[in-house]
Amino acid sequence: MKQIVQVGDMAVGVKGDEIVTYALGSCLGLMIYDPVAQVGGMLHAMLPLSKINLEKAENNPYMFVDRGVPILFKEVYGLGGKKERLIVKAAGCGSPMGNNEMFKIGERNYTVLKKMLWKNGVLLKAEEVGGSISRTVYFDMSTGRVTIKSGRQERLL
Amino acid sequence: MKQGRKREIITKMKSFPSMSGIAAKVLKVLDDPNSSAGQVEQLLKQDPSLTANLLKLTNSAYFGIPSKIGSVRHAIAMMGWKKVTKLVMAACVNAISDQQILGYDLPPGVLWEHSVAVSVTAEGLMRELKIAESDEIFTAALLHDLGKLVLGGFVEKELNKIEEVAARGIPFQMAEQEVLGTDHAEIGALMLESWSFPPRLVSAVRWHHDPDSAPETSSMTDIVHVSNVLCLMIGIGVGVEGLHYEPSVLATKRLGIKPNQLELIASQTLEWAKELTDVF
Repeated sequence: MKQIVQVGDMAVGVKGDEIVTYALGSCLGLMIYDPVAQVGGMLHAMLPLSKINLEKAENNPYMFVDRGVPILFKEVYGLGGKKERLIVKAAGCGSPMGNNEMFKIGERNYTVLKKMLWKNGVLLKAEEVGGSISRTVYFDMSTGRVTIKSGRQERLL
Repeated sequence: MKQGRKREIITKMKSFPSMSGIAAKVLKVLDDPNSSAGQVEQLLKQDPSLTANLLKLTNSAYFGIPSKIGSVRHAIAMMGWKKVTKLVMAACVNAISDQQILGYDLPPGVLWEHSVAVSVTAEGLMRELKIAESDEIFTAALLHDLGKLVLGGFVEKELNKIEEVAARGIPFQMAEQEVLGTDHAEIGALMLESWSFPPRLVSAVRWHHDPDSAPETSSMTDIVHVSNVLCLMIGIGVGVEGLHYEPSVLATKRLGIKPNQLELIASQTLEWAKELTDVF
């Protein structure tokens, strides 16, 4: 089954599924996959910390990196994924051009992610983050393959 | 050569079907302190499908009016005719922007979603920053990318060159300017000018990527500028150019925005936009 992850949402899947998310700008796309159980999931989080809008975070934790990441891992564990086997990849976290700090939401998303992963002893296997491009991510649940499409270019992550 | 290209683009622009003639007339009525609600109603009677879409928008969750509104007269009584006018604009923009935009790689519906998202973001920022309420900000934001409707075909043909220029670290609209002799902000402004839109609105559209170059800075232009970049960042209406635009440091200073305010608005934008786009 093909599942589309909207901004501020997540999806998990099993062998045979494909998970897609469109237009990652400054948002974080986090893909985790267990190649033995052939299960995985993807998060598309918009903002780094839920404290900016706690009411929103109650209704929609996936909007925030700090709330969404732990739930993504738990959901994949629930499908039989094992922490020690998980392959974790990140995409997105872009920024517009220039040095206007206010608009570095993408960098802040990435920083919060790295901090959380480090605290929990999880390493990123691959990442394609930053820059002023928009990325669409295709995540194949049979192979764990992550494909990124940006403009007219496509590449494997 | 660039000048020749610009002339070709402007010729194409002139043949672009005018946004329902009513839009410009309604805007003119709004700009005239002596006009009345009755005049807006009279104008709308000429276009039933526009009126139908207007009523859908009026009843959207975004405005939170508890009773169902069934007529233009009722809408004006409940919302005031200035708010109704801004929804007339939204109905007009929906009619022309709900299509695929070549060149920018925007599938059908995406430019409309982007226009609405920038509008609600702009209104959210206006409230958050306690800037004097203005219904014009919504309209300026709705119209900011109008030029893409005309320029898209030209961008498509020259995309390789435009991308080469942009790759040198030049914002996308400047790359358009370098290759085509004009850009989507300038073309959008020329279109609105030719339809006799108020100069403040034309200026906000003209300078939405470069508010510091406007002959007179304005909080309306600054807010549209910031809201547009924010919506692209969260992936609403982001096209082939991605985030290849440069937010102005001076604009955010003039507005006095703090990073947490920007993030707060971002956390609400999707819901607000959905309330309006869901009605179609």
